Amino acid sequence: MYYILVYDVNVDRVQKMLKIMREYLNHVQNSVFEGELTDAQLAELKDRARDLMDEDEDSIIIYRVGSKRWRNREVLGIEKHSTDNFI
Amino acid sequence: MKRPYYIFSSGKLMRKQNTIFFLPYDEEEELMEEAGQTKEAPTEWELITKAGEFKKEFDSPNKRVIPVDDVDSLMIFSEINFNARMLQFLTKNNIPAHLFNYYGHYNGSYYPREYLLSGFLLVDQVDHYKKHKKRMRIALQLVQGAAYNMLRNLKYYDGRAGNVSESIEKVEEILEKVPLAKDISELMGMEGNIRQAYYQAFPTILGDKYDFEKRVRQPPDNAVNALISFGNSMVYTTCLTEIYRTQLSPLVSYLHEPGDRRYSLALDLAEIFKPLLADRVIFTCLNQRRIQHTDFDESLNFCHLSEKGRKTFVKTFEEKLQTTIMHRKLDRKVSYRRLIRMECYKLVKHLTGAEPYEPFKAWW
Repeated sequence: MYYILVYDVNVDRVQKMLKIMREYLNHVQNSVFEGELTDAQLAELKDRARDLMDEDEDSIIIYRVGSKRWRNREVLGIEKHSTDNFI
Repeated sequence: MKRPYYIFSSGKLMRKQNTIFFLPYDEEEELMEEAGQTKEAPTEWELITKAGEFKKEFDSPNKRVIPVDDVDSLMIFSEINFNARMLQFLTKNNIPAHLFNYYGHYNGSYYPREYLLSGFLLVDQVDHYKKHKKRMRIALQLVQGAAYNMLRNLKYYDGRAGNVSESIEKVEEILEKVPLAKDISELMGMEGNIRQAYYQAFPTILGDKYDFEKRVRQPPDNAVNALISFGNSMVYTTCLTEIYRTQLSPLVSYLHEPGDRRYSLALDLAEIFKPLLADRVIFTCLNQRRIQHTDFDESLNFCHLSEKGRKTFVKTFEEKLQTTIMHRKLDRKVSYRRLIRMECYKLVKHLTGAEPYEPFKAWW
C-alpha cells in the first residue's frame, strides 16, 4: 500500500523522527514522506514513532493512498527529493 | 513491495543513520576541497573521515537518502565507492548487490550471507543432481519450459510482424525429440538448436531496422546481440535475487553444470524467463523505437549499449517485472518478478517430494 506521512513534532525530536522515517519512506520535503509499505512495515514504523513522540505534544498523520498507480501527483517548482528507484 | 534500486550515477554509497545514503561524486569532491581548506594540511585519513562524516547541516540537493526498508536489491551500473561498513549493512538487511562494468557486462554480485538456510533441502538438491534420472527429469522440464515460452513469443509475432512459421515448425520439431535425450550434454545441444531456430525469427520480428544474422556472444558483435546479452544478464541477476529469498542453494543446478562460472541455479531458472522478460523487452524497445541506433557504441571491436540506452532498457525491464498477470491457480494477480519466486518454490516442492515440478508456461 502507498502512504503519505507528515509529522509535526517538537524541535527536540525532529532529527530523531527524520532518521526513523528515512529508513522506511522516501523523504520528499521537510517532514513529508511517501512510499510503499507492507502492513508489517507500517506497524513497525508506528511502533517506533510512538516510542519517540510525546503523544500530548506531537502529531503524525498517515494518509493511505492505496495503489501507487492511482496516485495523482503534481509538483510545482523544483522537486526537492525524488522517489525514483533510478539514481 | 520492496523494489530494486538501479544506480547509474557515480558516487559514494554509505551507511548513514541506519539507512543508505548516496552522494554523487562531484559533491564529495567539493566536500573534500572544503576539508582541504583548513589551515593545517589534513592527512589522508582525516580527509576521508571528514568527507565521510558529512556533517548534519550538509544538505545537498543531489544527495539521495534511500529508505533501506524499500530496497530489494541494488543494481549498480556505475563507479561506486563503498566500504565494509556498507557491505555489513547490506548483509544485515539481506540486500544483494549486482555489479555491471562500464560496458554493461555483468561483473558479479555481492551475495550476502545466506539467511534462509535449510540443510535438508541442500541434501535433496544435491541428491537430485547426483542421480541421473532425477537430474534429467528437472533438466528436461527446464528445456521444455524455455522452449514453450519461446514458442509463445513466436506465435504472438507470427502474422503480426511477418511470417515466422518456419521457426515455429523447427522449434516444435526439436521440442518433440527433447524427451528422447539420453544425457545432459545431448539435452544442452537440443536446447542450443531450439534457441538457434528461435533467433532465426528475430530479423522478421524486428523488421529491417537492425542486422541480426546469428547469436554472437563474448563479445556481442551487433546491436541486437548486445541487447540480448544485456537482457540475459538482467534476467540472471533477477533470478539470483529471487533465489536468495528462498532456501535453495544457488550453487547446485540441473541443466547447467554446477560449479563452473556463475551461480548456476540462477542460469537454470533464467532459461525459462529469458523469452518472457529479456526478449519481450528487446522487442518493445526496438519496435517502439525507445532504443535507437544512436544508443549503441561500436567504436571498439564489439557493440555495447550507451549509458542512455542502458537506462531506457532497464526502465522498460523494470516496468515488465512489475506488470501483473492474473494467475489461474492462485486466482489473484501476480507480477513477473513474483513468478520467478514462485518458480523457486515449485522447485523446492519438487525437491522435497511434495509436488512434481512443472515449469512455468505462459498461457496467455
